Amino acid sequence: MLDKKLILGVFDDGDKLLSAVTKLRQKGVEIMDCFTPYPVHNLDRAMGIKRTNLTVGAFLCGLTGFLSGLLLQFYMMTNHLNTFKSWPMIIGGKPQNYGMVPSMVPVTFELTILFTAFGIGILFFYRAKMIHGKIAQVLDLRQTDDLLLVAIEQDHLHMDRSELDGILKSNGAIEIRERNLEGTSNAKNS
Amino acid sequence: MYEANIRKPLVTGGKTISDVTNDICRPIENKPTPMWWLGFTISFLLLMVFVGTIGWTTWEGIGVWGVNKTVMWGWDITNFVFWVGIGHAGTLISAILLLFRQKWRMSINRSAEAMTIFAVICAAMFPLFHMGRVWLGYWPLPLPNAYGSLWVNFNSPLLWDVFAISTYFSVSLLFWYLGLIPDIATVRDRATTKARKFWYGFFAMGWNGSARNWHRYEVVALILAGVSTPLVLSVHTIVSMDFATSVIPGWHTTIFPPYFVAGAIFSGFGMVLTLLVIARSVLRLQDYITVEHLEAMTKVVMLTGSMVGLAYLTEFFIAFYSGVEYEQYAFRNRAFGPYWWAYWTMMSCNLLAPQVFWFKWARTTPWFIFIMSIIVNIGMWFERFVIIVTSLHRDYLPSSWVMYSATWVEVGIFLGTMGLFFTAFFLFSKFLPVVNMSEVKSILKSRE
Repeated sequence: MLDKKLILGVFDDGDKLLSAVTKLRQKGVEIMDCFTPYPVHNLDRAMGIKRTNLTVGAFLCGLTGFLSGLLLQFYMMTNHLNTFKSWPMIIGGKPQNYGMVPSMVPVTFELTILFTAFGIGILFFYRAKMIHGKIAQVLDLRQTDDLLLVAIEQDHLHMDRSELDGILKSNGAIEIRERNLEGTSNAKNS
Repeated sequence: MYEANIRKPLVTGGKTISDVTNDICRPIENKPTPMWWLGFTISFLLLMVFVGTIGWTTWEGIGVWGVNKTVMWGWDITNFVFWVGIGHAGTLISAILLLFRQKWRMSINRSAEAMTIFAVICAAMFPLFHMGRVWLGYWPLPLPNAYGSLWVNFNSPLLWDVFAISTYFSVSLLFWYLGLIPDIATVRDRATTKARKFWYGFFAMGWNGSARNWHRYEVVALILAGVSTPLVLSVHTIVSMDFATSVIPGWHTTIFPPYFVAGAIFSGFGMVLTLLVIARSVLRLQDYITVEHLEAMTKVVMLTGSMVGLAYLTEFFIAFYSGVEYEQYAFRNRAFGPYWWAYWTMMSCNLLAPQVFWFKWARTTPWFIFIMSIIVNIGMWFERFVIIVTSLHRDYLPSSWVMYSATWVEVGIFLGTMGLFFTAFFLFSKFLPVVNMSEVKSILKSRE
């Protein structure tokens, strides 16, 4: 992995971070990422993050679950798919053809939900590159506690460094740091 | 920053962001208090009662219970419905209140969801062991088998229940775990011991609070809330169909699904209140789980209690109005038959008692709320007992009328699941943050 040089603006409040990010984006500064202990609303929009298409994935997973539920029950309970190899199960004289569709509703519904939930969960972990046991890339140990960071790549900065510092400071940054992205997981508490 | 001038602050005590972390991580990072040990020991002993009684049931067979040919469902299914119902409050708080953008959910959703998961585990024990041969407990699954094309019966509501409960459990677990990840990462980054660093690091899955991931995370949370909401409503609907699709007078009622869902939310909030009134004082969380929170929950209790009460009265009226003598007898027998005491316990605990919450004093006095929550729990247990046992014990054939009473084994199993539930909850409060830190941090009033 390349050694990225980062400039970190450290904040203690989401609103200050948000206004700093908005200002920086107006000036055309490319923001690598922000790290916050809690979700700061509208920060994603201010950073210009494209809306995730995980919702489409959720729909497709749900559709898969819905169809699997129907297929499962048509396969097991009716002969429409020519699956009665030995004997049909006649229980309480209940229908064994399309007439049992109302009975299929609960299981089809549950499977739709099950597939949607686990599908979206897995897709999320995949997109966020998260897996059990992964070593977190933490720039500052307090970024999951009470500090909020904005990270800007030095190489992509087309702005005078003092101007950047000025914008960060005037929006309430309590500190400005530089850091290499490599080996950051051992960052000491500030 | 979340500000609403017409509402009181959701977190009191002028907390800063780091105060939240310190307060919530305290029980995890310090040795357990004597109170914790006391509670844990009692719960663990009860859990051992569960192991003993359920072991005896498995060894000897269902004959050690009081159930018989007429009353084939007794305490076991009563307890099953009771525990499933309790689980519903967690999903209601975390999913439905998320969709409604109710911010007060944020400091109670974690513990309520934990409660959901533990309650569903307790619930699952009963049908599983009621099958008698628990080692064949996988038979309700639609697995290919060597008996020809002998599949499970998808026309049966009991099978729908298998799908509903297992979906509910696994989706709730996923939702809970997803919510825990940022907080586990917080604990990981504060960890001072190697073991803690490793385990919390393992389960935090590399979370670092990146805004890109928060963006995805919030979308996923919203979708999960969106699917959990119809899920939670479907679960108790399907549980009610276990009864409603039968032809037993007293069970064969179309009002059952909405009535069961309201009852589930009612009993769930009862249990949430029981737990949180204790937890907030033992874990010193009064600034996070404030009296405002308790008040909001008592309002839900009052509303759903009244809905359940309305359902009781509607059932009675419809039995009369239907002109079906079996139906009429079933209800007359409920109120004035040999199990009258169960019926009137249910009526007074569920319909009458929650009406005290019309008064502000009742809604804002923790010790009183605690007593009321116990009453709600008792009332809802009796509701299920009344529905199941009084409907079964006198059916169409008077020669098969019997009385049912539980044996010590059934009582032991029920108390034992209490032990299972509370043991799990105590362990949860020791090893995981009981309040959703990352969400609470976003609703602090302006900090200076």
